[in-house]
Amino acid sequence: MKKYIIIGASAAGLACAEQIRKEDKNCSITVLTREAYLPYSRPSISYYLKGAVKENDMYLRSPNYYIEKGIDIVTSAPVRSIDKKNKTVKAGRKAYSYDKLCICTGSKPFVPPIKNINGKVNAYTFLDLASTKAVKAKANGNTKAVVIGAGLIGMKAAEGLSKICKSVDVVELSPRILPSILDEKSARSVKKYIEENGHIVFHLGDTVTEAKSNANRITSVVLKSGKELECDMLILAVGVRPETELAEKAGIKVERGIVTNPETMQTSDKSIYAAGDCTVSVDMLDGSKRVIALYPNAVYQGTAAGSQMAGGDIKLDGAYSVNAIDFYGLRICTCGLINAVGEQYSDRTVRSGDKYKRLIFENNRLVGFVLINASENAGIYTSLIENKTDLSEIKTDIFDTPSLFMFDKAEREKRLKGEIA
Amino acid sequence: MKKVYAKEELCLNCRLCEVYCKTAHSKTKDVLKANKYENPTPVSRITVYGDKMLSAAVNCRHCDNPKCVQACITGAMTKDEKTGIVSVNEKKCIGCMTCLSVCPFGCIKTGKFAVKCDLCQDEDEPACVKNCPNHALVYIDLGGAK
Repeated sequence: MKKYIIIGASAAGLACAEQIRKEDKNCSITVLTREAYLPYSRPSISYYLKGAVKENDMYLRSPNYYIEKGIDIVTSAPVRSIDKKNKTVKAGRKAYSYDKLCICTGSKPFVPPIKNINGKVNAYTFLDLASTKAVKAKANGNTKAVVIGAGLIGMKAAEGLSKICKSVDVVELSPRILPSILDEKSARSVKKYIEENGHIVFHLGDTVTEAKSNANRITSVVLKSGKELECDMLILAVGVRPETELAEKAGIKVERGIVTNPETMQTSDKSIYAAGDCTVSVDMLDGSKRVIALYPNAVYQGTAAGSQMAGGDIKLDGAYSVNAIDFYGLRICTCGLINAVGEQYSDRTVRSGDKYKRLIFENNRLVGFVLINASENAGIYTSLIENKTDLSEIKTDIFDTPSLFMFDKAEREKRLKGEIA
Repeated sequence: MKKVYAKEELCLNCRLCEVYCKTAHSKTKDVLKANKYENPTPVSRITVYGDKMLSAAVNCRHCDNPKCVQACITGAMTKDEKTGIVSVNEKKCIGCMTCLSVCPFGCIKTGKFAVKCDLCQDEDEPACVKNCPNHALVYIDLGGAK
């Protein structure tokens, strides 16, 4: 009986375990997680914070599911080391041997150098359930919260906190919010919407240089611009970095993230695979190497890794970004190269009322979109991007709500039967 | 598994499938009340696309390897291993619409949560098929894993 070990029990780790089980009914699958919880939805943490989702509904599968599937999830088991030669990993006092190993260690928060924040009891990161519980326990109607970072994590933290706290200030070094998913124009209108609906105060193009404190509690933060903000809860959400320490120590090739074969997810060691936010991906749309720390990508990679580990034939088709998020009811869907720079790219924006649709093209292909309150059938655009469809085959105006009638009869019938082209 | 298939050569673009889908997924189950008076208005899980010359009703394909299930960031979207039906758990869904962003057929609609076809699980035949006046929708098994 083959032994599979997976390190990390979030999106990639769970997808990997499930795929191994699909392909190999008689093997042992052990998932080691440093966290105290069974696999749960990390993106749900901000919804848990604001009370929109109960803790019980954050779990990705029921406890029974793992028993039925024979997937052993070992919680509170931080892995200390990987021994490539003897094919074992050490977690706590136990050593686990493996035939195939998958590293799905995800991201770690990047904490910027700020004077006087170390060891302060009211400075938090916002990345997992444990940190969210700590924030939720302390936030109340008198709290003046400051969030550093207006990326996806910082903005979701700010939205959640704005429903609870007295005030929420967001400080962001970049001149615009959500720089990873929005272009300059759309970021401006989203910011305005959030200011109006969320009572969040933004300080863009600025950064926190220093915290002032009373004993071990932060009382205010000082910005580079000289402004001082009262603060009794500081959220550090500047960004994340791939968690690659274990892999590096084991001598596995790491660049910005763990380097893998882009189709099989195999690392520089034949028996070791990696998937999810801890890896560096090759973006299929422009060939650039970057960390795509997004949930669907983690699942696709975990599934491919699991299949390959178990001798199956699922490979990763190619990585690209796709993200959907909402703020106070404003729905934003983005995909592909939204900030593409180069002669080969062009883009067009159509606005009407509160709807914003920007499509980005490379020659005669769609390579990206930003849709705000205009997400109807966005997945059809995604499939055009993924399949690198030549847009001269499209029968309707690309800016119309996409539907299967964009395609010729043969393609449409294929899709109506549920066969993905 | 049995799924709903559209025959575009027979579709009249009458949109009765949408009307009866809304009714089947309404509180009152009454065609008039559901379509006229219920608040919030039930969302149709089937949509007729095209024009008067050529049209077809599109609803969930209940894929063998559903992208929406893979991409769901909360575990709310699942495919039932026994029936093959892909459905949304509204307690878990946060309405982020990642599922909609990856569905290559355009079958997921936006309500407070993700809204999609459940093949009218408790009925012997989905409401859209039952009420299609020109038999442009059929409920048959053309293969595909459960």
